[in-house]
Amino acid sequence: MRRPEWAPESIDIERPSVARMYDYYLGGSHNFAVDRSAAQAMIAAVPDAPLMAQANRAFLRRAVQYLAGAGIRQFLDIGSGIPTVGNVHEIAQRVEPDARVVYVDVDPVAVAHSREILYGVSGATVVQEDLRRPDRILNHPEVRELLDFDEPIAVIVVAVLHFIPDSDDPRGILASIRRALAPGSYLVLSQATDDGRTDGEREDAHRVYRRTDNPLFMRTRQGLTDLFDGFDLLDPGVVWVPHWRPDTLDSTEDAHRAVFMGGVGRLGD
Amino acid sequence: MEWDGSVTDQGNEAVPAAPRPGPATFARAWAKAVTGTSYLPMTQQQLEALLRDLTVRLAEALQAEPFDLRVGHQVGGDLVAAHIASAEGLGRTIEVIHLRLLRDLGLSGEDMQDRLARLLATVATGYARALRNRTLDEQESIRRAGMVARYQAERALRESEARFRHQATHDPLTDLPNRTLFTERLTAAISRPARPDARLGVCFVDLDRFKEVNDTRGHQVGDLLLVSVAERLRHAVADHLVARLGGDEFVILVEETTCTDDVLKVADAALAAIATPSLVGGHEITVSASIGIVEGPVAGTSPGDVMRAADITLHWAKTSGRGRWSVFDPERNEREVRRYALSAAMPAALERGEFYLDYQPLASLADGRVRGVEALVRWRHPELGTLRPDSFIGLAEETGLIVRLGEWVLAEACRQAREWSRLSPAAPFVSVNLAVRQVRGAGLVDEIAGLLEQTGLPPDRLQLEITESAMMSATGEPVRALRVLADLGVRIAIDDFGTGYSNLAYLRNLPVHELKVDGSFVAGLRAPASEPASRTDERIVATLVSLAHALDLTVTAEGVETAGQAERLRAIGCDAGQGWHFGEPAPPSRITEHLRQLPVTAA
Repeated sequence: MRRPEWAPESIDIERPSVARMYDYYLGGSHNFAVDRSAAQAMIAAVPDAPLMAQANRAFLRRAVQYLAGAGIRQFLDIGSGIPTVGNVHEIAQRVEPDARVVYVDVDPVAVAHSREILYGVSGATVVQEDLRRPDRILNHPEVRELLDFDEPIAVIVVAVLHFIPDSDDPRGILASIRRALAPGSYLVLSQATDDGRTDGEREDAHRVYRRTDNPLFMRTRQGLTDLFDGFDLLDPGVVWVPHWRPDTLDSTEDAHRAVFMGGVGRLGD
Repeated sequence: MEWDGSVTDQGNEAVPAAPRPGPATFARAWAKAVTGTSYLPMTQQQLEALLRDLTVRLAEALQAEPFDLRVGHQVGGDLVAAHIASAEGLGRTIEVIHLRLLRDLGLSGEDMQDRLARLLATVATGYARALRNRTLDEQESIRRAGMVARYQAERALRESEARFRHQATHDPLTDLPNRTLFTERLTAAISRPARPDARLGVCFVDLDRFKEVNDTRGHQVGDLLLVSVAERLRHAVADHLVARLGGDEFVILVEETTCTDDVLKVADAALAAIATPSLVGGHEITVSASIGIVEGPVAGTSPGDVMRAADITLHWAKTSGRGRWSVFDPERNEREVRRYALSAAMPAALERGEFYLDYQPLASLADGRVRGVEALVRWRHPELGTLRPDSFIGLAEETGLIVRLGEWVLAEACRQAREWSRLSPAAPFVSVNLAVRQVRGAGLVDEIAGLLEQTGLPPDRLQLEITESAMMSATGEPVRALRVLADLGVRIAIDDFGTGYSNLAYLRNLPVHELKVDGSFVAGLRAPASEPASRTDERIVATLVSLAHALDLTVTAEGVETAGQAERLRAIGCDAGQGWHFGEPAPPSRITEHLRQLPVTAA
């Protein structure tokens, strides 16, 4: 039966969720059999998928640590997924106890889980919205309650944009968000690229994600750089995520296998 | 026990690498071993600091007396808690401890290898147990989140369904149930009655003169008034479904009634609630309402029947003066339905020639001669048989068909009269009733003049009968028209004289030739003259006759049924009589025959 127009989105936990697959890559158990089976298919196609997820997660950690150290007290994490080890509020509040974090995800299970994790945590909340509707996010009462848009905010869009096709105008989405931000705000971006992958790996990965509600849309380094339009890229620019301000040099071996590229940009005055 | 130096000294980061290995060296090797086995939410330095601490605890455990196995469990659990939590992480940890721990810390002793083996076993046990618990907890947590999400999605769906359902079944202005919901409930009550002999009632409520409120105070005030009325109705008849059908129409469904009284009580409460003056948008407004009530057994009816009946009854309440209820009366309805059917059929009947004229003689009381004939219209109805004018003239007046019907009657009567006047010089004039609308119509003079010209009928062979009330309302243009007609030579008669106001003023202004005294006075003349009532009627008629004669008018008495009446009227001096005594209304052939039998000299 077709869903009538007035009906809200229903949830279907019989389909793999990209958020729960990501949790599986990170070694978590916040996932269902259907997610594990999809994730295992992905690992069969791209055996280092867990390493990619870990590298991306580590990038997020380093970026948040850097921004919190730079005095940023507000974080808007869009596409936050399942709040698993090393959440933005934990990282940020370790550096800056007053830091405030709003998580945004479109997956109702991820949001319900986040809400449970965040129960009793001050300075952090979660809202269920879609990155493709930035106005709804920016005008969401809970977002407005926790974040002060007259002060700098770090907007985190990590491991999400490869689910947003160009037809959904990711540049326009990011521009809408940028216009709402105060000078001195930051944008943290990362997404999967298929640079450095074989055609077979590429095809297999696409096949896995076609089973989810979120097919993949890879971008090149230049494509990702273009998404920072309006922001000044911090050194070292858009790079394989292990190369973005690593803790130790020895963790950057085989960085191109990380698949994810990312960077951090600052909104000038 | 051999231990070269304090652990804390060796563990101090600020100190450059010691010449001999120690806990820091081992911790660095351990950190390298577990890096990449799972996502570690910390920097390399934080990881090394954590593992150095665990290294010290392991070293202390190996040297403690007695040997304490609990430390191994704790270290295993702490590793998992720090998110060094994967099968690979455990494997590499056992490997690095087994290969390097004793050596890096310079530990030796005869039972040290045994102790190390037992310690590793407890680390692995503690680690596996913690990892299993963590896995189960996470599974529990995500399962709960899935349930919550599904519950919320279902609730959101239900809420939006409920919202949609509410919108679809309620009036947005008053939030009362709308026609859809009302029809559903009425249909359910009728198609699924609680008992076979169940009854129900409906009050169809319509505000009186609501349009005036809208027109004089604006639609906004009108809307506020509707909201206020809705609120009052809701409170007044809370036990029953109150719906707004649209505009200023409301309806109350009274289910499971025992008798009509049950609904009357509801209707009274509704009328009282509506009549309460209310402050609406700063204006005190008092409105009334009319209610059509239907109450009866559910069996054998349908929602459509009920609502039609309620609508009709509401109309009755409106026409009987507003601010009241009426109860549906099937017999009255049947009459009205018949009237309606008749009125609807009339135009086509006129086209098809179903109307015809009978003629009734107006006879001279002096010599019995037929002075004139009154044309009386009949309808030969294909199903109902012959209908007399009293069953359809009123309808024709309501629908306005009286104008066309009247034209036809005039034309036909003139044609017939002309035929007779060709036949005999003694032919009677023809007397035709004119309806008020005909008298007021602009084209009356042209119409009649045209007819006279077409037919060649001498004008004095045509008499127009006009009722007193038509005369009374005739001012201005109609008066002039009648004068023109009279000047042409057409006779004007006042019909049913004596039953209206008998205002004599118009007799001064209007060119009247004849008075027709109403049959009700004549009826009294049937009784013996000795009866007082009979004498009174006789005196009235005598007075009318002398009045008429004083004004040079002739008098015709209507309803003359007996020779006795005729005789008394003749004695009074009345000029002519009409009634069964002189002949019933009959087809024109009767008159034609009569004229043929007249001796030529009678002319």
